Amino acid sequence: MANGWSVFISLFAIVGLSAVVWVFAPKGENQTVWRSSLILTFAACYILWAITFMAQLHPLITPRRSNLRPEAHSDPRLF
Amino acid sequence: MSGQDTLFRSAKMSLVQLYVATEISREAISELGEVGMLQFRDLNAETSAFQRTFTKNIRRLDNVERQLRYFGAQMEKNSVPVRPVPDNASLTAAPSASEIDYLATRAEELETRVSQLNASYETLQKRWVELVEFRWVLREAGGFFDRAHGQAEEIRRGSTDEPTAPLLEDVEQSTPAGSAGHGDTMFQTMNIGFVAGVIRRDRIAAFERILWRTLRGNLYMNQSEIDEPIVDPSTNEPVDKNVFVIFAHGKEILAKIRKISESLGAGLYSVDEDNTLRRDQLHEVNSRINDLDSVLHNTRNTLTSELRMIAQNLASWMVVIKKEKAIYETLNLFIYDSARKCLIAEGWLPTNQLPLIQKRLRDVTDRAGLQVPTIVNELKTTKTPPTYNKTNKFTVGFQTIVDAYGVAKYREVNPGLAAIVTFPFLFAVMFGDVGHGFILILMAATMIWYEKRLEKQKIFELFDMAFFGRYIMLLMGVFSIYTGLIYNDIFSKPLTLFKSQWVYPERFEIGENIEAQKLPGYTYPFGLDWQWHGAENNLLFTNSLKMKLSVIMGWFHMTYSLCLSQYNHRYFKSRIDTWGNFIPGMIFFQSIFGYLVLAIIYKWSVDWVARDESPPSLLNLLIYMFLSPGTVTEPLYPGQAIVQVILLLVALVCVPWMLLLKPLYLRWEHNKHHAAGYQGLGQVSRVSALDGDDEDETPRGRDSVESDGEGHVLIAEEMKEEEEFEFSEVMIHQVIHTVEFCLNCISHTASYLRLWALSLAHAQLSLVLWDMTMAVGFGFEGTTGVIMMVILFSFWLNCTLAVLIVMEGTSAMLHSLRLQWVEAMSKFFIGDGIAFEPFSFKLLLEDGADQ
Repeated sequence: MANGWSVFISLFAIVGLSAVVWVFAPKGENQTVWRSSLILTFAACYILWAITFMAQLHPLITPRRSNLRPEAHSDPRLF
Repeated sequence: MSGQDTLFRSAKMSLVQLYVATEISREAISELGEVGMLQFRDLNAETSAFQRTFTKNIRRLDNVERQLRYFGAQMEKNSVPVRPVPDNASLTAAPSASEIDYLATRAEELETRVSQLNASYETLQKRWVELVEFRWVLREAGGFFDRAHGQAEEIRRGSTDEPTAPLLEDVEQSTPAGSAGHGDTMFQTMNIGFVAGVIRRDRIAAFERILWRTLRGNLYMNQSEIDEPIVDPSTNEPVDKNVFVIFAHGKEILAKIRKISESLGAGLYSVDEDNTLRRDQLHEVNSRINDLDSVLHNTRNTLTSELRMIAQNLASWMVVIKKEKAIYETLNLFIYDSARKCLIAEGWLPTNQLPLIQKRLRDVTDRAGLQVPTIVNELKTTKTPPTYNKTNKFTVGFQTIVDAYGVAKYREVNPGLAAIVTFPFLFAVMFGDVGHGFILILMAATMIWYEKRLEKQKIFELFDMAFFGRYIMLLMGVFSIYTGLIYNDIFSKPLTLFKSQWVYPERFEIGENIEAQKLPGYTYPFGLDWQWHGAENNLLFTNSLKMKLSVIMGWFHMTYSLCLSQYNHRYFKSRIDTWGNFIPGMIFFQSIFGYLVLAIIYKWSVDWVARDESPPSLLNLLIYMFLSPGTVTEPLYPGQAIVQVILLLVALVCVPWMLLLKPLYLRWEHNKHHAAGYQGLGQVSRVSALDGDDEDETPRGRDSVESDGEGHVLIAEEMKEEEEFEFSEVMIHQVIHTVEFCLNCISHTASYLRLWALSLAHAQLSLVLWDMTMAVGFGFEGTTGVIMMVILFSFWLNCTLAVLIVMEGTSAMLHSLRLQWVEAMSKFFIGDGIAFEPFSFKLLLEDGADQ
């Protein structure tokens, strides 16, 4: 079901996860480090994923090759 | 935040004043040094180092330290290992004054003893060397004499033929003919004397030349090399030497020879020319060498055993002395109040450490059984406190990256917190490869695993740097694996985790150029589709993707950083900065680059193929937005022209807004205050340390003590300098800021394109490396294939490690560092803070170990 909605669904998932981290970050003097680092990590990873995902959503060019052999048809092991 | 300091801002600091009774001042300071949380201010800045109270004590300790270092040097010379400090725990208790005294006298004693032993050892060795040289002379001289005897006759006979022969002219006259025919002819009878000795081999040529010139050839010289080098006792270096025997006649000439030899550093020895006597001499020398050998051996043993005994304690003594010295150096910063018999100190400490400090000082007072308590007084001040970010072994690396650029202003947002993620993540965007990231993790994990063992030793500088950044490296590795999965690269090969969204047609001719078809309604769920690997137009797609990716990542990073500046404005209660800097800056940035990012995302979300429209070029969109506002040649969406004109106008309005609002507001505020007659107030504002009883006293220089017997007043406040409001200065500052900000928005966005360039270069480099090595190896079969594979694999692995991981990694790290320092930190970082440097034994000893 990997379509355009995934971007929003995973955004909600990330926000939810961040909220969980905010609440359950280990108490003590490093709480801020835990919260900030984990939430920033989630955000950065999400952004990177979302960019690559959206770039492939409606691609303007398609892969093209001329060195394909018939028996190797779409078999990933032969690349 | 209830008193707890976080990495988000530097710790709250307090200026405290300590009143320490002189009896326990040493112990109290030692205790504070163990806590290591107080940075003392120099209250005697105008006093020179020699005039301070405890200079004498420091001199004495310096002497002890010198003695200890002398022991260390002696141990090194005699290769006695120094036992390392057993356990810091046993040293935490401050040594009592009597212990220090004992240590000082003991060091004194030991020094005299060791130097005595050394001196006697040296004299003995000198004698020993002399004897050895004498033995060589005796041995070699025998040969010379025999030869000389044989030649004497020849030369004599020859000289009758050649009357000009200089050497034996006298002999001719003094010896009756025929008497020289005997083999044991004495040289004396020929009136020939000789000089025997030992000289350094490298001087022999000069020696010969000088002799020849000064004596005009009136000599006969014999020499031979000593096979083994002789150790010079003063320098302990082996020296090659030669034995020489010079025959000449005439007392004066002999004396001259002696003088010349001595001036050239030769050792002269008296040898008897008689064979039997010489043999006796040899015997005697041999026995004396044997005696000396055993004496030398004994002396050496005593010395080493003495040094071994010292070596047991040397390291801990050194620690004790260093601490003691640091204590007195700190005490020198204090003011001595003779009337109250106490020392007054001032220093900064993190506010939440205050109870701990108070408790530790109370403990010291109790232990000493003193009735006078140690008073810790918190002062109010307008001085800028030092910046202190409490770090642990994980965060210290990231904080160091930030501090290397500049120390944050007191209580401003600390960039080090966000850098924990952004720095390694931006690195990983450039370094994205699952395999390379995994190797990075392995390296970092090894260092973390052996952390305890590696911490103590210095290996070499480069490794120490890597070790210091081991947690940074770990996160770099983790994020590189993530970005590697997104780019779908593992050592330049793809991972086929999910079904591809591309299918090639079933039938085609071999060599035919075929295009894949997209599966309808399906998008590759995670990262880059693996079908792009090996496709001919792979670069076309990844180029476009990574370029847009870097612009969007850069936009996020800069927006985030810009938002942090608002946290600073809010914290420092500077509303004008919010309205005059943050808001117009943000609007300016978003109306141009926020719009660009939106356009990128919008363009992706539209199915241009299904609409059967040609997608517009976003680069042209941005360019023509400025060049020809109002006309859109390639529309992205309806109503685009009007939106772009509005955005452009908004951005343009932001420039004068940013330029003028803050300076004009400041001027208005200044004029208002001026009109109300507030100017000049604050010039006499100072805070008294004790009570307000210094109201009528004349203002004095900073931190002066007034011993009027009653009120001891310490003025903690420097006379506050009136900040003269200069409109032109504020204006110039704001013009620079505005121009810089607007230009930086553009240049910094462009600067993030390095993410694109570096990640593309990294991917291509690893692809080329694979094609040149491993791919070639797969082309062979059988035994050749095996051999080729082994060779090529090792080549590939080495290149991967050296070029792709170390070199490329370093370059990606430096680029990430730049993005952190320049692109991100320029948006909010003020960085005019003073680093907190507490008086801490731990830091002191670590520093000592580094040197």
